[in-house]
Order: sequence, then structure tokens, then C-alpha cells
Amino acid sequence: MEAIKTKIEVADKSSLPTANEREAVFEARDLAVLYGDQLAIAGVNIDIYQRLITALIGPSGCGKSTFLRTLNRMNDLIPTASIRGELRYRDIDLYGPGVDAVEVRRRVGMVFQKPNPFHSSIYDNVAYGMRILGMKKDLSERVEKALRRAALWDEVKDRLKDSALGLSGGQQQRLCIARAIAVEPEVILFDEPASALDPISTSAIEDLMHELKRDYTLVIVTHNMQQAARVADLTAFFGLEVKSDGNRYGVLVEYDETEKIFTNPSDKRTEGYVTGRFG
Amino acid sequence: MGEPAFSLKATGRLRRRQLVNKGMGALAVGAALLAVAVLAIVVISVGSRGAGSLNLAFFTQNQAQGFNPKGGGVLFAIVGSAMLVGIATLIALPLGVLIAIYISELAPPRLARVGRMALDISNGIPTIVVGIFVFTILVAAHGQSAFAGSIALAIIMLPLIARATEEVLLLVPSSQREASLALGVSRWRTTVQVVIPSALGGIFTGTTLAIARVAGETAPLLFLTSLGTSSTADANPFHPLQSLTLVIFSYSEQADPAYQSKAWAAAFTLMCFVLFTSLAAKLTLARYRKKLGG
Amino acid sequence: MRELYSGELEELEGSLQEEGKLVDRAIRGALNVLARDDLELADELIAFDDEIDRHYLSIEQRIPSLLARQTPVASELRLVLAILYINLHLERVADYCVTVAKLTKLAHGLPRDAGVLEALEEMGERCREMLSTGLEYFSSRDFTDKQALIEMDRPIDRANRKLIDRLIALGPEESQREWAMRMILVSRCLERIGDHTVDIGEQAAYLVRGEFEEFTDASHKKPPAN
Repeated sequence: MEAIKTKIEVADKSSLPTANEREAVFEARDLAVLYGDQLAIAGVNIDIYQRLITALIGPSGCGKSTFLRTLNRMNDLIPTASIRGELRYRDIDLYGPGVDAVEVRRRVGMVFQKPNPFHSSIYDNVAYGMRILGMKKDLSERVEKALRRAALWDEVKDRLKDSALGLSGGQQQRLCIARAIAVEPEVILFDEPASALDPISTSAIEDLMHELKRDYTLVIVTHNMQQAARVADLTAFFGLEVKSDGNRYGVLVEYDETEKIFTNPSDKRTEGYVTGRFG
Repeated sequence: MGEPAFSLKATGRLRRRQLVNKGMGALAVGAALLAVAVLAIVVISVGSRGAGSLNLAFFTQNQAQGFNPKGGGVLFAIVGSAMLVGIATLIALPLGVLIAIYISELAPPRLARVGRMALDISNGIPTIVVGIFVFTILVAAHGQSAFAGSIALAIIMLPLIARATEEVLLLVPSSQREASLALGVSRWRTTVQVVIPSALGGIFTGTTLAIARVAGETAPLLFLTSLGTSSTADANPFHPLQSLTLVIFSYSEQADPAYQSKAWAAAFTLMCFVLFTSLAAKLTLARYRKKLGG
Repeated sequence: MRELYSGELEELEGSLQEEGKLVDRAIRGALNVLARDDLELADELIAFDDEIDRHYLSIEQRIPSLLARQTPVASELRLVLAILYINLHLERVADYCVTVAKLTKLAHGLPRDAGVLEALEEMGERCREMLSTGLEYFSSRDFTDKQALIEMDRPIDRANRKLIDRLIALGPEESQREWAMRMILVSRCLERIGDHTVDIGEQAAYLVRGEFEEFTDASHKKPPAN
């Protein structure tokens, strides 16, 4: 395999004032992901900080979703996927021996692009994870708490036994958020959380994320950079590089405070992307 | 507003095209009618000969004592068939579902392909060969029994149930699985709590179709369970019980027309059961498909 | 919806109004310095300008960030742009106040004319009135009467011209010549302050009506008929 020549500087903590006093929840060092022989992303060095919203932006194919899925080991579901380099979660090597992917996912939850509630009642959706993980005490209270946190309680409190599929798209997505929150993760990953929703629902989800930030660390992938601008504290821009044999892979081009990325980015490629000139 | 620059009117070839279309249409309709006609003929001919001999005694009594063939019924045969099919289902259903789970969820792609091929091949094994196989391993040493018959029927049902289950498991969208896995639920529990419940309708249908299929199997049972009829009441599966299909076979070979009419009656009963079961299964599947797809 | 964004807009406008209050104090302070010929007060006023500059810079920095991150449109875009310009005008007014203080320091000890001082005081107070009216229109988003602002500016221009005439009349008096020349510049400062406050009113009108219109223009003797 061709040597990966791109080397991106580690995002220096001191250069990120928002993150200064915060602990790093994830630390990636030279992280690369391959599908079989194909390189998907290469040489990623990034720290994700506690209780901040970090957005991953970039053109399609740049590997932002791939990177996101390394954070909760969802890439394991793809048989040909493998990683190089290191990814630490609170100082534990996430891909080290003896680390159980199921345990990882309890602490690092995920909300998907298209709302995917189970074909059961609203109550059962939220209670699902708790029941399986044995968090059965005070189940109803916990369900209510999760639904309140997801800003959905008032709309569904009188119809908890109704099917989840009867909710609107925006409500279903908030239900999925409630479901993820119910198992008390530390981190919530959002993979294009509002791209399947209308603008009003999108706004509601964005407001919700600001509130969730108080208790959870959020990482979101979005192809809508205005969304990243509105919502995120820190933004990471992934760009595309082309190898000599024509294969494309993603690299982390710039990672900084959102304000800087959108008013005065350091890298020309970042500027080109956020101004919509290319990528 | 003058004449348009081109014309959309038909040219000479049109007539031939129309004729060909109509002709092919007629052929297709004819073929369909033929298929329906065959079914109708079978149902009518069996029904006309068998329905007349149906009476309450037929279902509730065993073969009459002595050599009077006019009275009595096929109760024990019905019981026997029920046991045969029932036990076979008990064996084949869980095994079939497990195999389907393995093939569709857990196996690496190459092994999954091999598994599917094996199922398809075993689907095509002549049932009498299955019968001989079970005879060799079970009956030769331990004698005839309904249990041995059930094993044979189970072997026949297995590929049907497994393939039908696999198909509906694949129908369950992967987003459902992802949602469960992302919550920190293990693969296995995800399958049991999310995938299987969604697939239940399809599993039921597959099982029902398999039951309809083996309810009418005769060949494999020939060596495995009782060919004749006995007058002793027996529901122990480890004894050779009677089978409705074998009763049809043996009664139809008798010279006495009373036996033959009983055979027709039994055939009619069996056919009704199979038709009804198949129809129920198809209807359930259609409703289930709509629910899943909609 | 968009709570964070609404909060930011409110804060920004709040900062601007605060700056407005500070600038009003600066004008009053400059007039006091003039009236009392007080050197210490003049230095205080000059130092006070730093506080106004802090507000100015803070608003200046927040605006590009807000534009980039929240992409305001419609009335919110006009609000942010209006804040941008008013911020600039306020800072200019504050600078002119500093100039008045410096001029007073330079003219310290020279013989003064009471009439001139009275007229300058009146000009200054008119400016304060116009500033607060303009900012009031801005905050209430109510712009029914731009004439009021134009009407207020006219007396300032008239007073300015009258003042110049009187100062010219003082010219032959050698002992008062230097003071008179400094006061011409002070008058000029106050007249410019008046212009800036009219501009602030124009921004308020733009915010409410969505169109920009100049109330008075240097190249036109009379305001455009409307």
C-alpha cells in the first residue's frame, strides 16, 4: 500500500479557546480506515472535546461519515472495514484487544439520517434499550425524562401506547433521540440528523442540540454547512485527496472554532468549500 | 393553424401489430384459464366422488370392527396425520428459523451462499429417497414409528421454512438493526427482539405452506409408519400410527367399493385441508407484505 | 426557534443601545468642558472615550461572526447591517466629542464670548436630542415621521451659520481671534455630530422600511421632495 504522505498537524488545544478547559473525550492519532484495500480516510489527528458540539463537514465521499462510525465502532458491521492508527476514548484504545463493541455503543449513541423507530409503541421504543440493559427500575420515569430531554414529552404524553410510526418525521427523529438518550450515553453521534426533515423540524432539532450540549458531547456529520455554522462550537473540514492511481480518500484539512472556519479559514481548500466554490 | 409537420396516424404495419398483440393476449388468457381449469377438474372430480361419503362417523370413528367396511371412519388416521405433521413442525420450525438466521445474519457471504444452495438442493430430493434414508437410520434398528415419519417430513419441511424465513428476514430494513445495535444491544438480542418480531408474519406463512405441502406426502411414510389400519386407539408417536395419506393409498387398493369410496372421502378431506391452508397462507403473506412495504 | 441566534441579536442590539447612552454622556461631557473651561474634566472625557471604543470594537467583531454563522435574512439582515452602520456613526460622534475637549484645552485661558458659548451649548443639546430620537426610533422600530428628525437638524445648521457670522464679527479683535478660530472648529464638530445623528435616523428608517433613503444630502440645498 502506498505510503500516506499527508500529515496533518494535531489540533493544538491552546489554539482552541472554546475547548481550553475541556477534557478530550476522543483522541485520534493518524487514524486511517480502509475497506478491503481501498483507503477511505487517512492520517486523521483530532481531539473531540467534552460537552461541545463538533461538526464534521466536507464534500461527499470525504469520509466524514466513515470517521463518525469509527467513534462507536459501527464500522465493525462492514466485514471488509479495518483501521490503522489509534483512536482513544477517555484514554482507552477503542480498537484494542478486549474492548467490546457493544459496551462502546452503550456509551456512544447514534442518531441516524432517516428516523428509524421500531415498529412498536412510543413507550416501547424509548424503553427498549433500558429493558435490555437491565435498567428496569422506575422505567416510566426514565421514559418520561428521556422524552422531556428530547423536547417530545408534551406532544406525546397522552399517547405513549400509540405506534411510533404515527408520528411526523420530525417527531420520529426526536423519538430516536429520546431512545438514544434513555440508555444514558456520554456521547451522541448524529449522522446527517436533519437532512430528511423539513426546515421547521430541522430548526427544532438544532435547538434541541443546543440543550443537549449541557449534558452530552455531540458530534454531528452534516452536508449542510449552514447547519454546522449555526449549531457547532468546533468544525472539522474533511477534504478529498486523489492518489496517483486515481483513488480518492478523505483527509482532515482544518479543525477549528466554527467562527474561524466561517469567517477566516486558514486553508484555501476550506475557504473553497465553505464559499461553495468547489467540493 | 395548418396541417402538423408530421403525422401520428398509424402506418400499414399497425394492423399486423394489433393482430399479434391480440393473438398473444388471447394465448396468455387461454393458458391461465387452462391452469385454473386443471385445478377445477381435480377439485370437482375428487369432490364429486368423495363428498358423498362424508358423514360424522367418518371423522369421529375408527375403522369398524370386524370386516364391515361400510361403517366407521378414519379417526385414527386423522389423529395419526396430525401427530406426524405436528411433530414434524415442532422439529422443522425452530431449526429452519435458526438456519435462516444464520444464513442471513451471521454467516460470511461465501458460507451463506453454500447454505442457500444446500437448502435449494435438499428441496429437490425425491421424498421417497428421504423415506429410505430415515428407514435406514431409524426404522431398521428400532421399528416403524410415527416419530420416524415425522423426521422424514421434517427433513422435507426444513428447506421450505428456512428459505421463507430467510426471505422475510432480508425484508426487514437494515436501519432497524442499526438502530438497535447503536443502542449497545448485542447482535443476537437485536435479531431476537427486533428482526424476528418483524418477520413473524412471513415465518408463519412459510410454516403454513410447508405444512400444506407435507400433509399430503405419502411416499416417505410408506416404510416408516403403519400402512394398515388398526383398531386400537393409539396416540403414542413412538408407535407406528396411521396416516391419512397412507389410508388413501391402502383403501384405494382394496377391492371392496366401500373402501374405495372411503378413500375418495379421505382424499377429498385431505385436499380441502391443503387448499384451505395454502389459501390462508397466501392471504396472510399478502397482508404482511403490504404492512412491511407500506 | 433558533433561541441562540435570537439571544445573540438581542445582545448585540443591547450593546449598541448601551453605547448610545455612553455617547450621549460624552456629548454632555463635552458641552460641560466647553462651558466650564475645565481641563481636568477634559482629560476625563478623553479617557472615557476608551470605554466607548471598547463597545465599538466588540460590536465590530461580533457582526462578521453573526453574519457567517447565522446567515440572517430579511429584517434580521437589515438589523445587523443597521447596527453595523450606527456603531460606526456613534464612534465618530464620540471622536468629535474628544476633539471638542481637545480644542477647549487648547483655547484654555483665552477671553471668551458668552453669546457664542450659549449658542454652542444649544447646538450641543439639540444634537443630544437628535441622537436619542434616532436611537428611540431604532429600538421601537417605529418610523412614521422622518420629518421630525430633519426638522431638528435645520436649527443646528442655522445656529451654526449664525455662529460663524458672529465669530467672524469678532475677528478684528486680536485678543479674541484665536479663541474665535478654535470655536469655529468646535462649531464644525457639533454640526458634524448632528449629521451623524441624522444618519442614525436613516438607518432606523432602512430597518423598518427595507429601503435606504437619504434624508439630507450635502449636494442638495433642500431635502428631496418626498
